[in-house]
Amino acid sequence: MNTNVQEPTVKSSAPAPSMPAIIASSVDEGHRTKAAPFGHALVELGRTRPEIVGMSADLAKYTDIHIFAQAYPDRFYQMGMSEQLMATAAGGLAKEGFIPFATTYATFAARRCYDFISQGVAEQDANVKFVGGLPGLTTGYGPSHQATDDLAIFRAMPNITVIDPCDALDVEQMVTAVADHHGPVYMRMLRGAVPLVLDEYNYRFELGKAALLRGGRDVLVISTGFMTMRALDAAKDLQKDGVDVAVLHVPTVKPLDEVTILREAARTGRLVVVAENHTIVGGLGEAVAGCLLRGGVAPAFRQIALPDRFLSAGSLPVLQDRYGISRKAVIDRIKCWL
Amino acid sequence: MSEGNLLHNSRLAERAHRVRHNAITMAEVHGQGYVAQALGVADVLSVAYLHAMRIRPDQPEWEDRDRFLLSVGHYGIAHYAILTEAGYLPESELVTYGCDDSRLPMSGMASYTPGAEMSGGSIGLGLPMAVGMGLGLKRKKSSSFVYTLMGDGELAEGPTWEAAISASHYKLDNIIALVDFNKVQADGPSPTIMSTEPLVAKFEAFGFYVQRVDGNDLPALVKAFDNAREHPEPKPRIIICDTKMGCGVDFLEAREKNHFIRLEPDEWKRAYEALEARRPA
Ligand SMILES: Cc1ncc(C[n+]2csc(CCOP(=O)(O)OP(=O)(O)O)c2C)c(N)n1
Ligand SMILES: [Mg+2]
Repeated sequence: MNTNVQEPTVKSSAPAPSMPAIIASSVDEGHRTKAAPFGHALVELGRTRPEIVGMSADLAKYTDIHIFAQAYPDRFYQMGMSEQLMATAAGGLAKEGFIPFATTYATFAARRCYDFISQGVAEQDANVKFVGGLPGLTTGYGPSHQATDDLAIFRAMPNITVIDPCDALDVEQMVTAVADHHGPVYMRMLRGAVPLVLDEYNYRFELGKAALLRGGRDVLVISTGFMTMRALDAAKDLQKDGVDVAVLHVPTVKPLDEVTILREAARTGRLVVVAENHTIVGGLGEAVAGCLLRGGVAPAFRQIALPDRFLSAGSLPVLQDRYGISRKAVIDRIKCWL
Repeated sequence: MSEGNLLHNSRLAERAHRVRHNAITMAEVHGQGYVAQALGVADVLSVAYLHAMRIRPDQPEWEDRDRFLLSVGHYGIAHYAILTEAGYLPESELVTYGCDDSRLPMSGMASYTPGAEMSGGSIGLGLPMAVGMGLGLKRKKSSSFVYTLMGDGELAEGPTWEAAISASHYKLDNIIALVDFNKVQADGPSPTIMSTEPLVAKFEAFGFYVQRVDGNDLPALVKAFDNAREHPEPKPRIIICDTKMGCGVDFLEAREKNHFIRLEPDEWKRAYEALEARRPA
């Protein structure tokens, strides 16, 4: 599936302040990208799994599932702008033995659909895969579209698996993995031209497993989502300053791979930094903190996360910098904590 | 039609033209945007703000104003275009649309913009909020109306229909709902994505006083807004406005994929020229 990989574009100057707010991308200069990994992986999987069906709530084109809809028009249900309906109807399809992949933006999946997913899907162990576009701060469109709280929201829901991909490779492998897993899943999704980084790290996505992508003596970054890409980039830069950074990628936020996290955090002398594209409330950071305290492991501990407030509208690079999740912000903060 | 009315309508046409011009000015900043909606709904908003509504643009929070709730937040560009023409915003601010720290964010939000009364990016909140404000205004014995602008795709959202039931139950005759029926939503033409017809019959069955008009016909809109305000029955009111995406700029009207439009740099000049060619006499 290694077609349509785009080579990185030439280093450009600083983003113009008037960069469009709606165009969502977490691509930094210097990364290769792959087009619509979710849509293509789902089409691939659909070839051998007729029970897989697609759904969207008037956001098919914006969540890459339109590719599946084009490939299998009779297996795709356009639900219109009715997220709550989609969530509950997905539960119904699952009861009839199908595996719906239902897409919308992460904010609407988390905030608008909560009760419908909780009762209509999770409590009944319905085999539905919710796929949320624009996770965390990946659009400058303002709080309505910035899903800064979806991990916290879904972590609080019993019986649902919560995952956050780093890059195109993660997205592709997650599609198969969640289809093979029986039960409700909430998957964050990166769309459009998605960075490809993990293929350099001898990595495979395994549901429920954290993966140590690189070792390091001074700092252990525990990260999820595209913050793992930021952490890997930061680690390369910090290496030049003689700072040795390990990166533990935690794509499954729930259930948490506590064994691996405790093992890595227990190695003495390292600053532990949890990095996530999510509010500081209720996401991976607090999940790891709780795990460490319960496990009797107490390293120096810091969090890189979005502040607990409604974020501004504006251009994405400016906002990611302002709220501390750009590559530069990650490097600056780790340096100042050392 | 009386001479006074004719004059009024031609002045409205001139101002609606400027509203469209404002929208293109904003879209040009980014080379893209929801400009086709703004052009399509310009006449509806012009009649709302410049004919029907009781407002004081220099006093956006004047207690006795009519309220206007932009439910479709992505229509911010259309809203800023009319707010500028109505005098809430200086024209010079248009070019900050969607930029960092601008008062004109791409998605309309109450806390950012003078004259914006709700944050609507998560669609489907307009009519429910109008119910609350309608109840509140009645409680205060206010004679103000609450207008809310919804999209046709938005009508698939459940809360809209919960609000419709409630608005009629509480006889909220101070609500004037507007639907911009442009037959487009995010994934394509609304009738193929999720058909909401027959819409007049639906809202009538929900207890509304319903009118359906050509939303790009100013005299028809003026009449519909007058009817909505003066209708004697204690029912919520709704005007379904059939509009043309891109109205006023011929090559945008003809464009098929128009929910979110990108234009090449040289096309903006063409857009201004096309608009100018249709400038009302
Ligand atoms: C609750 C919610 N779901 C989805 C979206 C994404 N979205 C923005 S505009 C839009 C289409 C709305 O259709 P319509 O109301 O007809 O507006 P138009 O396409 O005419 O601009 C969608 C699905 C949203 N903003 N809010
Ligand atoms: Mg529409």
